[in-house]
Amino acid sequence: MSEKDIMIEAVDVNKEYRRAGAIIRALADVNLKIKSGEFAIIQGPTGCGKSTLLNVLSGLDLPDSGRIIFDGENIARSTEDRLSKLRRQKIGFVFQDFNLVRTLTAMENVESVLWPTVLRQKEIENRAVAALRDVDLLDRKDHFPVQMSGGEKQRCAIARAIIHRPRVILADEPSGNLDPQSEKDVMGLLKKINKEMETTVLVVTHRDLSAYGTKTIRMDGGKIISIK
Amino acid sequence: MWRKAILLSLREKKVFVVFTLIYTVLIFLTSFFIDLGFKGMFGDFVWNFVFIFLGTSLFLSMLYAWILVSRKRRIWATFKCIGYTNKNILSLVSGMIFFTTIVGFLIVIEMLFHYAAIVAYINQTAINIPLLILVDLVPVVITSLIFIGVQIIAFILAYRKVLKVRPIIALKKVGE
Repeated sequence: MSEKDIMIEAVDVNKEYRRAGAIIRALADVNLKIKSGEFAIIQGPTGCGKSTLLNVLSGLDLPDSGRIIFDGENIARSTEDRLSKLRRQKIGFVFQDFNLVRTLTAMENVESVLWPTVLRQKEIENRAVAALRDVDLLDRKDHFPVQMSGGEKQRCAIARAIIHRPRVILADEPSGNLDPQSEKDVMGLLKKINKEMETTVLVVTHRDLSAYGTKTIRMDGGKIISIK
Repeated sequence: MWRKAILLSLREKKVFVVFTLIYTVLIFLTSFFIDLGFKGMFGDFVWNFVFIFLGTSLFLSMLYAWILVSRKRRIWATFKCIGYTNKNILSLVSGMIFFTTIVGFLIVIEMLFHYAAIVAYINQTAINIPLLILVDLVPVVITSLIFIGVQIIAFILAYRKVLKVRPIIALKKVGE
């Protein structure tokens, strides 16, 4: 594996939390490499450190020690503005609770990623329409989140995550609030995006979704216990 | 971003309507008392009211900024996750506050125009109604400029609060 192929790399990453006076070691000497175009599933029980790992890999949280190399750049000590730029250009987020703005329509929610950019409104609209078409939600573009089902909300969130054509999609329990059929649809959609757009996908879950991934990373007690 | 701030304001109907109405009343009352002060009516006593209303406007702007940032922390955190900088979010928040004041100002102007027109229309007949509460345009404009100036303090408060919103909040489960 050449260095060029590696999209995200964690090197000797440690992270501790202090909760109610006790020190919790959320990540203990974590080393991980995610190749470009991979579909990686980080799986483990609640409290195993998988969400913390996602947070530090995306620059949302800083590790206590170690390095995070994201697309060739060490982001472990980057400034907040630099991290914002990185997220805007290279990362798409999918959340368990969808995190759609309830007062915006599906189309506007998807467009919101590009509002701070220099793109013209027409171009933003065209991209939003394309993203909604990719997730098969174009007929719902004028609906508000409250008018959509859980599966539709998550598809809308995925459209928001791909509108800027990111290199990586980070999904935190994307099917955590969904019924089995919607889970299948959403994971299938992420798989399709991974294949067709060659986007690296990283899914954090407590469920067994290994069937969708090209790599499954199992965690427990802040450590990686297996990579398959 | 200003257009999007207007969009977000208009979609938050309840908060927008309540704050616009309060601003409208405050702008009218402050203009009215400034007008009385300029005309030398009721002595220096009227300026006390002007200062009270300006203080209220300051409190109101800060309250609005606090509501917009604190109650929508999850939205701003999500926006940070998808690449917004603190300045981008401040543009939205300050745009929402600014737009509400401007609408309040426009409503006052509109009401005064209608009031003057109605009185002028009625005065065409035998009935003669004095323009008792017609405020000149100059005090209204001065009031609005002061209100907008006062909001800079609210913007600073909003910015300090926006800085404190950590994007990681967006990843926490609802209710956590």
